[in-house]
Amino acid sequence: MIKGLLKKDLYNLATYKASLIIIILFCGIAIIGTDAITIAPTVICAIVGMISLSTFSYDEMSKSNRYILTLPTNRKELVREKYILAIGATILGGLLGMLLTIIVVNIMNYLRPENIINLDYQSLIIATIGGIFGISFLQSVQIPSIYKWGAEKGRIQMFILVLIIVAILGGIYFLINKANINIDIEMVNNFITRFGIIIASISTIIMYLISYKIAYKIYKNKEE
Amino acid sequence: MKNNIELQNVSKKYNDFELKNVTFNVPQGCIVGLIGENGVGKTTTIKSILNITKSEGNVKIFGKDSIKNEKEIKEETGVVLDDSFLSEYLTAKQVNSIMKDFYKNWDENKYIDFLKQFNLPTDKLIKDFSSGMKMKLKIATAISHNPKILILDEPTSGLDPVVRNEILDIFRKYIEEDETRSILLSTHITTDLEHISDYIVFIEKGKIIFNLPTDELLENYGIIKCSKEDFIRLGGKDYIAYKKGKYQYEVLTNDKSVIRNKYNITTIDKPSIEDIMLFYIKGEK
Repeated sequence: MIKGLLKKDLYNLATYKASLIIIILFCGIAIIGTDAITIAPTVICAIVGMISLSTFSYDEMSKSNRYILTLPTNRKELVREKYILAIGATILGGLLGMLLTIIVVNIMNYLRPENIINLDYQSLIIATIGGIFGISFLQSVQIPSIYKWGAEKGRIQMFILVLIIVAILGGIYFLINKANINIDIEMVNNFITRFGIIIASISTIIMYLISYKIAYKIYKNKEE
Repeated sequence: MKNNIELQNVSKKYNDFELKNVTFNVPQGCIVGLIGENGVGKTTTIKSILNITKSEGNVKIFGKDSIKNEKEIKEETGVVLDDSFLSEYLTAKQVNSIMKDFYKNWDENKYIDFLKQFNLPTDKLIKDFSSGMKMKLKIATAISHNPKILILDEPTSGLDPVVRNEILDIFRKYIEEDETRSILLSTHITTDLEHISDYIVFIEKGKIIFNLPTDELLENYGIIKCSKEDFIRLGGKDYIAYKKGKYQYEVLTNDKSVIRNKYNITTIDKPSIEDIMLFYIKGEK
């Protein structure tokens, strides 16, 4: 049954084909222009991950959940499928970004041997996992809120959330500067290099699990 | 006669509306029409049967508890909802591919035959279909896994008479193919039911007003057209409701023979289901 639900959502998302190609081209150009290897995994992961949530809007437009609940499936499978799609899209976006970076950098290094870009695979993997972690956090907050308040309000709420996060991070940065606290960047980098992937991966799994439990609890009692 | 659907005291409370102790059956081989104005509880009843909404009371389908055996029951149920489907951004071909994964008994050939029979394009987006085409696609989708029951919520609303007739033919054929099948059809277009239904369940303000065989309803009910003097003679128990006209009274009775024999009134018209419904809703008591 989940396969059928996934098919329905993927057919709906096929309308984003052109947008995805444009984003990939844009990221490719951005790599060429900036020599930065962390752009593509984070940007593509973010966009593909968030596009997957637009299936909620398609469902609302066609009131499809009401119909789907008449088919041999149940609310648990409906919620589960949304998480499978969101997680799958985020991972796929990250991998696509990684692959694009590797291809573009190798082509550039071949065409411009005088200006070789150092493709640091560890940094690339950290950037990808970091991107996946960031998007998984947003999805983990957004999916239950969409179930609670609907796709439109959920989207507004996500923008507010992003603004709050930026404000908090900006505030912390400002306070650290103001207090003249010297942070040992090398130590932080070492810490991230050693434990970043494990911490981000475990946190991602925990966030999705908690989010799924909340979303199912909300949807179980929702009127369709 | 075995029942495919049994509802007992199904109740549901909203802030502004209440479904109260709805009890009726849908026997095998029968088409049951659920009638009433918009917003009186027809869709809530259907949603309760399908476990889309949580309600009190007892719903049994094929003799089994509708909640405990939900998936098994839904394998054998075909549903058409007026305002809801998979997605407007799919093609009929994609619907086939999706449905194959939902129903074990999905009959792809049957579905494709229906598309051909209804002249439905396979590669056009559903959002570009006309209302009639959309409804035909919903029906083709609901029938193509050979369900034992069809539950249809307003399947003919907004359609022209030709398409409506075509759709009613499909329902007739579906029932004729296998006498263990049943249809529960909710509609406010009652003329459709006069031709195809075996029972009529009339809901008003969340309560069942009557649940009768269609033949009995159309044979026994009558509209008496009489003078004020004749109306005054009528006993309150012998009529259901009346409308006071400029020159005469129109009175609905559920037993024409009593009126003829007891009061010697012979001007009694045969009512349509719509007439009966209107008397219940608008008539005075």
